[in-house]
This record gives sequence, C-alpha cells and structure tokens, in this order.
Amino acid sequence: MNEPILMTDNLRKAFGDNEAVKGVSFSVLRGEIFSLLGPNGAGKTTTISMLSCLLEPTSGTAVIGGHSITNDNLRVRELIGIVPQEIALYDELTARQNLVFWGQMYNLSGKALKARIDEVLEQVNLTDRANDRVGTFSGGMKRRINIAAGLLHKPQLLFMDEPTVGIDPQSRRRILDMVKELRDQGMTVLYTTHYMEEAEELSDRVGIIDHGELIAVGTQAELTKTIGQQETLRLHLGEGFTGEEQVHLFEDLPGVLAVTALNGEVALSVTEAEEALPGAISRANGAGVPVRTIDIEEPNLEAVFLHLTGRALRD
Amino acid sequence: MLQKIFAMIWKDTIVRFSNKSELLFFLILPVVFTALMGGILTPEPDVDARVPLLLVNEDSSALAASLQDALAQSDTVQVQEMALAEAETAFTDEEAAALLLIPAGFGEAVMAGETAVLDLRQQPNNSDGDAAGEAVRTAVSAISQPVAAARSAVEEAESHRAFASVAARDVFFASSLEMAQDLLQDTPERIVLTQPESSNVDVDDYDPAAQSSAGQLVTWVFIPLLGVSAFLAYERTQGTLRRLLTTPTRKATFLLGSISSNYVQALVQMAILVAFGVFVMKVNWGQSLPALAVLLLAFGLAAVAFGVMLGTFVKTTNQASNLSIMLGMVMALLGGCWWPAELFPPAMQTAVKILPTAWVMQGMTDLIRRGQGLAGILPEAGVLLGFAVVFFVLGVWRFRFE
Repeated sequence: MNEPILMTDNLRKAFGDNEAVKGVSFSVLRGEIFSLLGPNGAGKTTTISMLSCLLEPTSGTAVIGGHSITNDNLRVRELIGIVPQEIALYDELTARQNLVFWGQMYNLSGKALKARIDEVLEQVNLTDRANDRVGTFSGGMKRRINIAAGLLHKPQLLFMDEPTVGIDPQSRRRILDMVKELRDQGMTVLYTTHYMEEAEELSDRVGIIDHGELIAVGTQAELTKTIGQQETLRLHLGEGFTGEEQVHLFEDLPGVLAVTALNGEVALSVTEAEEALPGAISRANGAGVPVRTIDIEEPNLEAVFLHLTGRALRD
Repeated sequence: MLQKIFAMIWKDTIVRFSNKSELLFFLILPVVFTALMGGILTPEPDVDARVPLLLVNEDSSALAASLQDALAQSDTVQVQEMALAEAETAFTDEEAAALLLIPAGFGEAVMAGETAVLDLRQQPNNSDGDAAGEAVRTAVSAISQPVAAARSAVEEAESHRAFASVAARDVFFASSLEMAQDLLQDTPERIVLTQPESSNVDVDDYDPAAQSSAGQLVTWVFIPLLGVSAFLAYERTQGTLRRLLTTPTRKATFLLGSISSNYVQALVQMAILVAFGVFVMKVNWGQSLPALAVLLLAFGLAAVAFGVMLGTFVKTTNQASNLSIMLGMVMALLGGCWWPAELFPPAMQTAVKILPTAWVMQGMTDLIRRGQGLAGILPEAGVLLGFAVVFFVLGVWRFRFE
C-alpha cells in the first residue's frame, strides 16, 4: 500500500498563453483511491490527459509503474485503464461487441477475453443487457459500460474522470459502490470529481486542485486539521440581497474567518458556530433579510477548499 | 497489430451497416443506376434508327439506279421505295421526314450535261428532314463525280480534235465514265489508322452497358471511400479516438485500421458491381483479371487516401458526409463516369487529368473497350498510386487526433 504506483514532479501543461496545469507534484500509492477534488476548469482532466499519455506535458515528469509517460508511453498505456468523462463507446454496437473491441485494443483475445467480458458485465450488473445496442441504454447504463471497458485488462492504475456527471442518483450510488469494490480487490484508482461528498466517501487521500495548482494533498483528517477546528455555518436567506451584499453583510462579524454566497445560501467559516450564530441572525434581521434555515457543519473538504481558496467548490 | 486492424475492420463494418439504409448506397442504388444507365437508355440493337426517306424513282437509267444504291447504303436514311401517290400520302401523314422524287429523264439529262432536277421534299422545322436532305446531297455528289470526270474528258478531247460523229462522242463519254467509276472505286487510302499491338480490333468501340458498368462502379465506390473522412470525424466527436489513444495502440495502427476497413468494404463493393456487370449487363470486363485487379486496387487506394486528406479539413461527421457527396459527384461527373470523356471539349479533357476519377475511367476504357492488358493500364495505375501517395502524405501529416 505504501509503494507509489504514480509519481508526478512539477507536471505542467500550457495551451499557448493559458497555463492549464501549473506544475503539480503528487504521488498515488498502490491500492488506494486518490481523488483530485476541484471545481470545473481546475485542471483535473488536463492532468488525467497527460497521465494517460493523451497530452504531452509542457514540462515536468510523471512515472507510472516505473515507466515514464513521455519516454515509455506504450508500456504505460498497458498498465493504466481509463474511464473518460464523456461516454466513449459505439452506440451502434451491443455492449458485448463494444467490450470485445476495447478488449482487443488492450491485446486481449479468445477465451480469455470472453471470460473477462463476462466478469466485467457481472461487475457492472449488465449481463442481461449484454446483447443490446448501447445506443438504447440509459445514461447510467452507458456510464457503467464505459467503466467496464476500462476494467477489461485489469489495469494496475485506473483513471476515473468524473464518472458520475449527469446521471441519476441510483446509478451514481452503484458507481461509487463499484469504485470501492475495485479498491477492495486491490486496484489503484485516481478519481477526479468536483463533488465534495464523493471525494469524502471514496478517498484514502485527496488532492485539492484549483486554477491548475495542487493546493493541498492528504487524508481527509489531515486536510481538515490544517484549518483547525473551523466549522461552517450555513444560512439560507430570503430574497432581497445580492450575493455580494450578503458577503459584505457578514464578513466583519466577530469569529467569522471567510464568507461565500451562492444561490441564496451564505456559508460562514467560523471558529465556533454556536458563538457566531446569534450575531449572524441579529445581523440578518437588522438588514431585513429573513433567515429560513440554519445548518452547522463539522469541518469537511468543502471547508478546506473554502479556507484555502476563499471560494466555495461550486463557485 | 494485425489483430487490432481486423478488430477495427469488424467494428467499422458493424457501425456502417447498423443503419440498414447504408445497403441502399452500398448495393441497391449502384445496381439500379448501372442497369438504368446501361440498359434502358440504350437503343434496342434490332431497331433501325435511321431516318425514313420515301423514294419515288420514275427514271429507269443506270444513273438513277446508282443514286438509289448510294442512298440504300447510307447510314443516315432508310430508303422506302414506293409509287408517287402512295409516297405523297405518307409524306402528308408525316410518316417520313423527307420524300425524294427522281423524275423520268434524270439520267439522260445528266449524261447530256444538262441541268438535272431532283424533287426533294422535307417536313418543315424537322431535324430528321434536314438529315435526310444532307444524305441525299451526299449520294448525289458521290454519283456526280464520275459523270463530271467523264464530261471533262470529252471536253478536253474535243479541244484537241472534234469527234467524227455524235455516236463517236457518246462512245468516248461512256468509256470515260466507266473508267472514272472504276478509278473512284479503287481510290487508294491516304490515311491509315494504326492501333497499338495490344489492341483488340474485334472489341466494339462503344458499349453503353460497359460505360455504365464502369462509370457507376467508380461513382458509387468513390463517394463512400471519401467518406472515410466522416469515420475519422465520428471517432473524434464520439470521444472513442481519445479513448483509443489511451490503449496500447499506436496512432499508425489506428489510421491503418480505419483506412483498411473502408478499403476492404470498397473492394467487396467493387467485386459485386463487376460481377453484376459481367453476369447481368453482359459487359466484357476486359480479358486480363490481373489488369482489372491492379487498376481497381490502385483506384481504391487513391480514393481512400483522398478521404484521409479530406478528414483533416472537417470537424464533424455532417461536414464530412456533405463534402464527400459533393466532391464525389463532381469528380465522378468530370471524370467521365456518367458519359464518355471523349464528348468533353479538348481543353476540358486535359483539365480533368488532375482528377483520379478521370484516370481510373481511362484505365477502364482501355480494359473494356480497347481490350488492353496489364501493360496497357500500368500508366493509369501508376498515376493513381501517385495520387494515393500524395494524398496519404498530406492526410497523415495534417491529421488531428484531438
């Protein structure tokens, strides 16, 4: 578990003047689920694209299973599996035909391929739909076949790039359970997401990425520890104030460390929620803004992100 | 690598034919168009397409008979001899475009050096009537030449010494006419048409069925081969190309696989259309199978390479499909696939040499109509392979995997 399967060193990617990834360095240990958590446009997919040999890094290095992604990329591609963010399947082929094709691209053939296809179909719970065209599947079913295609050759390191985007809660639950099963079977997973809850549920370790920079890496406990005993006070306000006005309303309250506002909800990072709460309610009432609900959250990754960037993950 | 290429051929074939309407373009339309263009639009071989000419011959002279013979041998008119009343009724009923009356005394007047009048009637504003009139003038000219020559001989003899009698003059005229007729019949050839040794002179010069079979094959195979650009765009937009490039598969293998699948499908389509030409249209697809194979293989390579190059300019499958159909149709039309290139103006015949379709049609014409073998079509096959190399280099050089 402690041996790294992936190590990056100052990995950087620029598209002209736009620097998408600004020198990230991290490692992923064998058998763990490592999540890259960050908002859309943070550089997660670009990082995965470099690590899966799709994009040449502008500078920096990365080694997977002892092989450089730039100098030995064919060998690297044998070791990794990828579940891309978009559904990368052929709608015209059946689920089984898709898996036969992708298996052959990973140099599998014959009975071994057939047996492995049966296994992964079982794993994603789609054995009964194996001979139906993928074009007839729901979004969630397509996502599961998309995952199955990345598992066929039993990769040592599986990249999953936001695999739950745009699907129903039931399919999402299945996918999250499947990721944990894979980890339990010994597979290493590098998982990217902008959902804090997914990162919290799945990850052994988390890397927080924003604007192309890896701003923190560690276990959830280690990360929340960095912000001390901070809690988050969430106030759901009535209409009447803009987000900016809401931030100004609360930012100078005693005990408030940071304020963000989104969709009528104000999140206050505070040292002690119970002490800050009366002042916050009083300030809202004074301004004539009704407070509809109040939530107090223990320190979590959202708070860590807020603490590190001054913004909410969904901003 | 071979396993991956076969996998791509298998996958692309399923993707292409998952839509049943693809069979329409792969098989049904090519066969229907070949049959239509080569069969229905071709005149029945037993039907005489010549223009009917009503002939009334009231002169019993040898000259009138010669004129009638000359008309009978014409490729333009079909002579229908009848009595004057019957002919006039048929002409009034517009059963024929022209009526020719050879009046009594026609031959005698000609022999006497007098003006002989023929009565030619043509339907007004009728191109068939004009054609019949031209055929009559040609025939009259043919029989007039020996008469004119004999008359010149008599005049020349009289300029030296007068004939002893009219009878002697007539005898001299008759012998001069006979000699002139003999000489004109034995006119030496001044232009000799030579053909290459490999040429088979027994092969018909033009066969609409053969033209249709070859032209429609090129058209209907060429357009889908350009469609390789749509396949490449499809892989890009579907995200499967990105996924494919994360597998241990080289870019070259992917390109080779995509090209091979379209190429193999095209070869199958060509084989079917050649078989249809041979067994249904009764087209003589040349006497050399190796020559035919080399030409079709070279053509397929040139077309699929052109499709790869096209794939570097398009972003979506719709763009690729529209461009393929548009370019394919234009290049097929200009390449002589829908009508013989010989009908084009000379400048255009030269200009279309920049198109691979023109070269493959020229090669097929050499095979089918001129009966040439492998040596005869090597220049065309060489040019097509040249096109293939140029297009492949440009296509692979500019290909975007993202």
